[in-house]
Amino acid sequence: MATEKTDVVIVGVGAAGGILAAELGKAGLKVIGLERGPRLTTQDFDPHDELRYFQRQDLRPNIKRQPITWRPNANARANPIPVQNYGNQAGGGTVHYGSVSWRMHEDDFRARSHTVERYGAAAIPQDSSIADWPVSSAELEPFYDRAEYDLGVSGKAGNLQGQKIDGGNVFEAPRRREYPLPPLRRDQGATLFDAATRKLGYHPFSTPRAILSDAYHDRPACTYCGFCQAFGCHVGAKSSILVTKLPEADATGNFKLITGAMCYRVNSDNSGRVHGVAYYGPDGSDNTIEADIVILSTFIYDNARLLLLSKTDKFSNGLANSSGEVGKHLMAHMMPNVYAMYDDRCVNNYMGPSAQKHTIDDFNADNFDHGGLGFIRGSQISIGTGNLQGGPIGHTTTAPPPGTPRWGAAYRDYLAKSFNRQVAMVAQTENLAYPDQTIDLDPNVRDAWGLPAPRMTYDWRRPNELARVEFMMKKMEEIGRAMGASQVWRGPLGPGAPGAHHEGGTRMGSDPKTSVVNKYGQSWDVPNLFVIGSSTFPTMSGFNPTLTIQALAYMSADAIVNRYRKSPGALL
Amino acid sequence: MTKPNEARRKFLLGAAVGAGAVAGASLVPDALSQTKEHADHAAAPSSAHAHERHGGLGTFFNPDDAATITAFTERLMPNAPGKPGAREADVLNYIDLALSGAYADQQYFYRCGLASLDAYCHKTYHEPFRTLSAAQQDEVVAALAQGKASEFTWPSAVLFFETLRTHTMEGMFADPVYGGNKDFAGWRLVGFPGAQPEFTAADMESSAPFTRLPIVGLQSQAKS
Repeated sequence: MATEKTDVVIVGVGAAGGILAAELGKAGLKVIGLERGPRLTTQDFDPHDELRYFQRQDLRPNIKRQPITWRPNANARANPIPVQNYGNQAGGGTVHYGSVSWRMHEDDFRARSHTVERYGAAAIPQDSSIADWPVSSAELEPFYDRAEYDLGVSGKAGNLQGQKIDGGNVFEAPRRREYPLPPLRRDQGATLFDAATRKLGYHPFSTPRAILSDAYHDRPACTYCGFCQAFGCHVGAKSSILVTKLPEADATGNFKLITGAMCYRVNSDNSGRVHGVAYYGPDGSDNTIEADIVILSTFIYDNARLLLLSKTDKFSNGLANSSGEVGKHLMAHMMPNVYAMYDDRCVNNYMGPSAQKHTIDDFNADNFDHGGLGFIRGSQISIGTGNLQGGPIGHTTTAPPPGTPRWGAAYRDYLAKSFNRQVAMVAQTENLAYPDQTIDLDPNVRDAWGLPAPRMTYDWRRPNELARVEFMMKKMEEIGRAMGASQVWRGPLGPGAPGAHHEGGTRMGSDPKTSVVNKYGQSWDVPNLFVIGSSTFPTMSGFNPTLTIQALAYMSADAIVNRYRKSPGALL
Repeated sequence: MTKPNEARRKFLLGAAVGAGAVAGASLVPDALSQTKEHADHAAAPSSAHAHERHGGLGTFFNPDDAATITAFTERLMPNAPGKPGAREADVLNYIDLALSGAYADQQYFYRCGLASLDAYCHKTYHEPFRTLSAAQQDEVVAALAQGKASEFTWPSAVLFFETLRTHTMEGMFADPVYGGNKDFAGWRLVGFPGAQPEFTAADMESSAPFTRLPIVGLQSQAKS
C-alpha cells in the first residue's frame, strides 16, 4: 500500500489524458498518470502480425479480465461483448486506431436547434435526447487547429476561412489554415471511388488522418505497409499519443506514469470536493494518490463506472451525479458495409492505411435535405477495407456475395479471386442519443479485480436509425455500380449491439440539472473533478470522435492552467 | 478400444501424411532478434514446421481427434490442383499448437464439440466423422452450420462450426510462425505478399497483382 501526493492525477492516459499530461506538466503542475495497461514502444510493433493484432486484439482490453456486457433492453440479461474497440495501454486507442481525424461540422454542435429550425420540432424522434453542445464550432476551431499541428494530421482543406476548395471537404466548417501535411497517397480503391462519386455529383476527398504523409516533428513518413488500423505503427508515423504527447510529458520533468494501475474509486469527502483516487497495482496492492485535481479520461465505460463506484453518503447517487444523468445517452456509430468486386483488375486493398481511405461528406450531418426521408442526421461514406483492416484473416470475417457459401470449394475460390479484387464501403452513421441507452453496473458480471462490469443497454434498431441505414446502403450500392464493379452487395447488419466509437454517459451541457459536466469537462457538482473524452459528447456526429476529444482536451488544459489554477471554482 | 499402435498409425495416416503436423515446435533464437530486416531471416525455415515429425503426437489432440480435425478443416477449405487446402497449409498443426497455448481455455470446448460431432455421425451414419466419405462429411458440416445436427448441447452445433471455421481461416492465413499457412500456402492461394514493410506509389497505382518482392513472413521469406 502506497500513498503519493501530486497536483493532478489523470486516470487513463490516452487520446485525452496524454494531451492533458503534457500540457499541465508544461505549465508546472505535478502530474501522475494512471494507466491500466503497459507502455509499449514503436519497436513492439515491428511484427506485422494480423493474427496477434487484428484477430486476437492484442492492443485491446482482454475481454475475460475486463468484461463489458451488453443487453438490447432492460428486460434482457446482459452478456459480455466479444470485441472491445478501445485501447488498453499508454496512448489508449490512439495506438491502434485508424487515425481518422475529423473536425465536426458547425451544425453537429447544435443538432437539436438546427433540426428544429430547418424541419420543425416534430422531425426529432420523440424519445430522442439529442441536445446542443455548450461549445460552438468557432469556439473549438483554435483547439482543432492546435491538435492538427501539434500531433500531425495529413489532409486537404475544403473550407479556408469561408473559401470552398475543390478536393477538400467542402462541407467542413471554416478553418484558419491548411492542414500541416498534404493528403496521404491514394490507392486503387480511392481512385475508383473518387471518379465514381464525382460522376454522381458528389465531393470526394482524401480522409484527414493523423498519419504523416511527410516527415514531421522528427518522425518519418508513412510507409503504406497496410498494417494500420488494429496495429501499432512500426515506424511511428501514426500520430498516436504514445509517440507525440507522452515523450513531451516526460520532458517536462513533472509527469510520472504508473502502468498496470487499475483505478477503482475517486475519493471524496464531505466538503464536496474530491481528494484523489484509489487504485490496485499489478501485484494486487491497494494504493492511494492524493491530488488537488482529479481528471477522468478513460474510455466512456470507466468514466461512468468510476463515478458510480465512487458513491458515498454525501454522493449517494454516485459522484457528480446530482442530475441523475451519469450513464445515460450512450451512442455508437453503426458501420453498414457495401462490398464491390472486380473481375478484370486488382485493387490490392491491403496496401496503405486501411481505415476510411477516401470519403464523401454529401450525406453526413445536415449536408443534404432530409425532408420526407423519415430520419434526421446522416453518415459519412468512405471507401476502404472490410472491418477497416486489409489482411486475409480480416477478409474471411466479411460476408461473401449472396449465393456464395462461407466454407468449402466455392468459398475457397471466392477468397482466391476476391482478396485482391474487392473493396468495401462503410457508412458511419450518426445514431441519435436516447436516454434509455445506458451504461450502469452489471449486477451479475465482475472483472478480474472483483469490480462490477460496465453494462450497456442499447439497441440501435430504432425507426430513425433503420431508415438512415437503408438510405445509406442504397447510396453505397449506387456508388459501387458507378465504380464499375462486376458485383456489388450489402454486408449483414447484425444484432442491435453498439458498433464503433462509443460516446456519452457523462454528457456536457449548459444546465447542471440536465448534464454531468460543463464544456470544460468540469463536474457541476464537484469543481475539482474533470471528465474528459467522448463520454461528454451530447451528440456524436457521423465522424470519428478522436480529434474532437483531443481538441476538447487542449481546451480544458488551457482552462485549468489559465483560469482554474488562479481561482479553483466553477469554470463558466 | 483402439490399441496404442493402431492409434499412432491412424494419426499418421489420417492427420500427418501430407500435412506435416509438427509437435514441440521450438523458436529459432535468431527469430527473436528485433531486426526490421525480415529478409535477414530468408535462410531460416518457417520455424514451427522446422522439425518434420516422423510419427508421434502433437501438443494437444489425440490421434483420432487429430484425424477428425484434419478431415473437418479440409472440408471447410478443400484442396484442388494449384489451390492448397487446409491439410496442405497444416491447419491441424495451427489449431493443435493454439489449443496448448493461446487458446488453452478452449480445450474443453473442443473435447465436447468433437464428442458431439462423432455422436451425431454415429447416429446418422454409424461411423465417426473421420472415416466418412468427403460427400458425407460435407453433409455433416452443412448440418452443423445450419444448426440441424442433433447430439450437440454445449457447444451448440452452430458455435462449434463457427469456431472451427474461424480457427481454420486463422490456420490458413496467419503468419507461418503460428504453425499453419505452411510455406505460405494460404497467402499464395489469395495473393497476399505478407508482412511487407513498405509499398511504393507505383505499387499502389498498379492494377496488377503485387509480385515485385517475394512473400515475407515474420521468420521466413518465399524462395521465389
